[in-house]
Amino acid sequence: MVRDRTFWSRAFDVANIVILGLITLSCLYPLWYTFCLSISNKSAANAGLVTFYPIGFSLVSYKEIVSDIKFFNSFWISIQRTILGTGISLLVGIMMAYPLSKSKEEFRARDIIMWVLIFCMLFNGGLIPWYITVRNYGLLDTIWALVLAGGLPIFNTILIMNFFRSLPKDIEEAAVIDGAGPWRILFGIVVPCSIPVIATITLFVGVYHWNEFFHGLVLMSDATKYPLQTYIQQLVVSIPTNTSLTPDQYKRLSELSNQSLNAAKVFIAMIPMLIVYPFLQRYFVAGIMLGAIKE
Amino acid sequence: MIKKLIAVVLVCMLALVSVACSSGSKTPSSDANENTSSNNESESTPSENGSSEGESSGDPAFMKFPKPVDVHIGMSVSPVDKTLPPGDSAQDNQYTRYLRENFNINVIVDWTAAEGENYNQKVSLAIASGDLPDGLVVNDRTYMVRAAKSGLLYDITDLFEKYASKQVKEIMASTQGRAMENASYNGRMVSLPNITVDTDGIYVMMIRKDWLDKLNLPVPKTLSDIEKTAKAFIENKMAGENTIGIVGPDKNGRPYSTFLLSSNNRFGFDPVFQAMDAYPGYWLDDGTGKVVYGTLTENTKKTLELLARWYKEGIIDPELGTRDSSAEVVNANQAGIFFGPWWSIGYGNGDSFKNDPNANWQAYPVYSDDGKWNVRMKTVGTTYTLISKKASEDVAKAIIIMNNVLVRDESVFDTSVAISWYPLRNVMAPADECEYEYKELWKILRGEADPEDYNIPGNPYKLMYSDAKAIKNVVKPADPNSEMLNVQDFDQTDFGKFQRFYSLLIGNRPYATITPDKKVYSVTYNQTETMERKWANLQKLEDEAILKIILGQEPISSFDEFVEKWKAQGGDEITAEVQAEYDKKK
Amino acid sequence: MKGKRGNVEKHYYLMVLPGLVWLFLFSIVPMVGIVMAFQDYNPGLGIFGSEWIGLENFRYLMQLDDSKQVIINTLIISSGKIVLNLLVPLIFALLLNEVTQLQYKKLVQTIVYLPHFISWVIMASIVINIFGYRGAINTIRSWFGLEPRLFMADPSIFRQLVIGTDVWKSFGFNAVIFLAALTSINPNLYEAATIDGANRWQKTRYVTLPELKPTIVLLGVLGLGNILNAGFDQVYNLYNPLVYSTGDILDTWIYRLGLTNLQFSLATAAGLFKSVVSFVLITISYVLAYKFADYKIF
Repeated sequence: MVRDRTFWSRAFDVANIVILGLITLSCLYPLWYTFCLSISNKSAANAGLVTFYPIGFSLVSYKEIVSDIKFFNSFWISIQRTILGTGISLLVGIMMAYPLSKSKEEFRARDIIMWVLIFCMLFNGGLIPWYITVRNYGLLDTIWALVLAGGLPIFNTILIMNFFRSLPKDIEEAAVIDGAGPWRILFGIVVPCSIPVIATITLFVGVYHWNEFFHGLVLMSDATKYPLQTYIQQLVVSIPTNTSLTPDQYKRLSELSNQSLNAAKVFIAMIPMLIVYPFLQRYFVAGIMLGAIKE
Repeated sequence: MIKKLIAVVLVCMLALVSVACSSGSKTPSSDANENTSSNNESESTPSENGSSEGESSGDPAFMKFPKPVDVHIGMSVSPVDKTLPPGDSAQDNQYTRYLRENFNINVIVDWTAAEGENYNQKVSLAIASGDLPDGLVVNDRTYMVRAAKSGLLYDITDLFEKYASKQVKEIMASTQGRAMENASYNGRMVSLPNITVDTDGIYVMMIRKDWLDKLNLPVPKTLSDIEKTAKAFIENKMAGENTIGIVGPDKNGRPYSTFLLSSNNRFGFDPVFQAMDAYPGYWLDDGTGKVVYGTLTENTKKTLELLARWYKEGIIDPELGTRDSSAEVVNANQAGIFFGPWWSIGYGNGDSFKNDPNANWQAYPVYSDDGKWNVRMKTVGTTYTLISKKASEDVAKAIIIMNNVLVRDESVFDTSVAISWYPLRNVMAPADECEYEYKELWKILRGEADPEDYNIPGNPYKLMYSDAKAIKNVVKPADPNSEMLNVQDFDQTDFGKFQRFYSLLIGNRPYATITPDKKVYSVTYNQTETMERKWANLQKLEDEAILKIILGQEPISSFDEFVEKWKAQGGDEITAEVQAEYDKKK
Repeated sequence: MKGKRGNVEKHYYLMVLPGLVWLFLFSIVPMVGIVMAFQDYNPGLGIFGSEWIGLENFRYLMQLDDSKQVIINTLIISSGKIVLNLLVPLIFALLLNEVTQLQYKKLVQTIVYLPHFISWVIMASIVINIFGYRGAINTIRSWFGLEPRLFMADPSIFRQLVIGTDVWKSFGFNAVIFLAALTSINPNLYEAATIDGANRWQKTRYVTLPELKPTIVLLGVLGLGNILNAGFDQVYNLYNPLVYSTGDILDTWIYRLGLTNLQFSLATAAGLFKSVVSFVLITISYVLAYKFADYKIF
């Protein structure tokens, strides 16, 4: 492709690069800001003086975190949850998606199951019956509550299914002629052909499990069982004054708000995501197509 | 063909149903729970026989159960508490051990949540799922009523009569039956009420006296004085560029207290309203026996006009209503004036003194232009201890006894472990505790009394003795004959005690030494039938309208529209209900 | 032949079984709770013992001023998000596509994904600070001599803020799909256009956009099903009582109705209303996508 070399065209190139640069910086800012806050001293952070650069350099917050068993405990719970949750969701999702990617003639229950899925995606009994159900299964306070209670990730299953559908039929047909059964076709051929979509869904589900805070709050009986985001949420959430607290509770609350320490915890909580996603990133482009756009 | 398929699917689903059902009822942990609870019951039957023997030997209010009684509770905890020694927990600490050793009460903590919103959420879920632990402290009467209405609560009318200590009953009596009324539903006592000191609902002005002295200004008395003073603070940049004249409520705060939330409204503008003889949020008798809602009055409107002008002129914190916490501003010593109850200085702003040991915060009343100090009076208390209907009689007794023990022994506990770790802590204090302590502590400081004079077992003023012993180490008045203390008169080494005495002797000085000219009570402090459905909506309407006027987002003329809307959306209906109840009482 | 097909099908049933069990246990069983919408739910009596009151809850919801306002807010916020989450990533992808320095392109692309991966719990606290009285935005405003503004307290701007921050958080990620579509455009089309003397704008206008049209239409249709999802996590963590009038959405309202105001049945009724409308909309988008894009969503 020959590029035109007019003045306006070059001016556009320059402006474009600058604009994209600014947009990029804006996306980096939250990270930078949190980092600045975490290494600023406590009173500057609490007074809201930190905006673009750290004020009064101090590593106290990080030192304090190192000795905070609860924080690392929650960190570990989140890691377990993310690994188990992602693994199970993917396995079950893939197994579910494959038959559903077949036509109605090949798998006759396909359409019914599909509508059941859609129905379940949209309807729910609300928080309270859901909580009672999980409680009755005896899952409260277990890692399985965090892993399973969110339910089958229906949307992601549909994405996987759409990708499977877009795979060329002839590969499978060849395998059938070789005498391969459905399980071997799925795990020996279809899955290896779908690495991009699986990587992408891994990321989706992984991010969900890492970032989800509400279930931890509702299903866990105390803070030692909270996943990381729940742990952080209870620190950054402000305490409403309209609940009547006693003066000594107020006393503690007003002493302990510590923006710098919170920022340090937030920053550490973001790190795993930052480490993992560049590895999976190269699959996005292929994966996010998800068979969504047919050639 | 298709029918056959559907049949297959249905069979599969049915198979799932049975799987699910069996797994639902037979999970190991729920089995375990059932076992333990049935064990408890079988244990408690013999112990009931035993307990009647135990009763004869002593005061039933402090009896030791012959066999351990398990009490399951839910508890709010501070996520950042550092007072608990390593190895201890909510379930196993000096308080629970004390209860176990002396009373054979075995506290089992079913769940905990961070105090505030998270805890309330857990309580809602517990009520909604009909699954209350044996004992639970709730932060608002709404929860109690909802649980009582659903038949989830234990009727403790008779047990309380028999097992509450004399001290507890005395404190209850000091409220002239209002505490009992609050704790009851349909005439039966279904919860233990919270009784807090009156002064929790007396709002005064907190001001930086050292700033006044620096600028050579007198202590402001009226609203126009306050306006001038706040302006002077800002103009003279007392805390640099970002000096705030008057701090206002933060995003979870309220511009004024209400009949439902009548106490501890720190950073509200209550004294401003009261100086204008306005009592928004309260149900008032207009003098003729007719009930009016205080927010709708002309005086409220006038006060709002004033506040809107202050806001516009920058006298009030521009970030009013959006800050995460107004306390941060005070603690960072960026502000000169705010309003709040007695503990707002001392207890409430510890970091302020840590950042500047000479921050000389003082408390004064705000007077109307004709020199009157009007105050609104709070309800008895706002929190409640619920006892589950499913609890056994022994467990219900144990919870009443735990409350007796707290009231009797709070002062002798070693409070280096925060007292909030006491299971089911629900404060019961004589209404005038702070004023009483103020007077007695001054007697000690002046040498008119000796700490040992207060060594009275069973004294309802439970903290008096320990305070009496400590006061002379912390407060060293330059002039014992004047009760005007400054921050320099305090020794801050024992910071916890310093905070307590600062609040008691400075924060509470106005109410302890000056008699208000007018005390205003709300006609009711509880919700009526219709309110249970409609009040949340009306409250929201009110909050929005009021804040928008103060922030200048709506002109003052919108006040009349608000009144119309309020009346139409159920306000009139509710007013009639309150009126009917009021007439019945008269 | 038929027998063999049945044999394969048996395995298909086995494959979907774990998923269906999971679905049954955690989605279908709790759906029993939907009946609360037609009851005056009493926790002491439970779901099976509470009094039935027919459509009373729905009738009361209709009367409330709040419910109308909340639906309006939800619609405005979600439709704003749907449109802008389509347009902004599209424009961004087009701009990025014009960049010739590959290293720079890659760097930009990597970084703009970043905010998407940060939870709203964390992001909200950052956004509140950025738009705070002394936050970054007001600091920049002060360089231009503008008065500081209280963004988080201003109901007239809160919806824009919610939409804007959401678009900002996810545009990088959403752009991926367009970038992918762009790479699949046949280069011959551009060459032909160049020979015809088209400049860059004309090429974009007459080659790129028409080629992207199916993608755009499809994403738009898919967005329809989300029209009642204005984003609970985001609003819940960002809003405050000052902006309820414009910022309160169905999900946050339902949440407060149930857990703060203890109106369990009303909350369930409102939730059911939302589900029914969403279901209808998804069905419509299924039909539309099939008809106009010849695409089966599921």
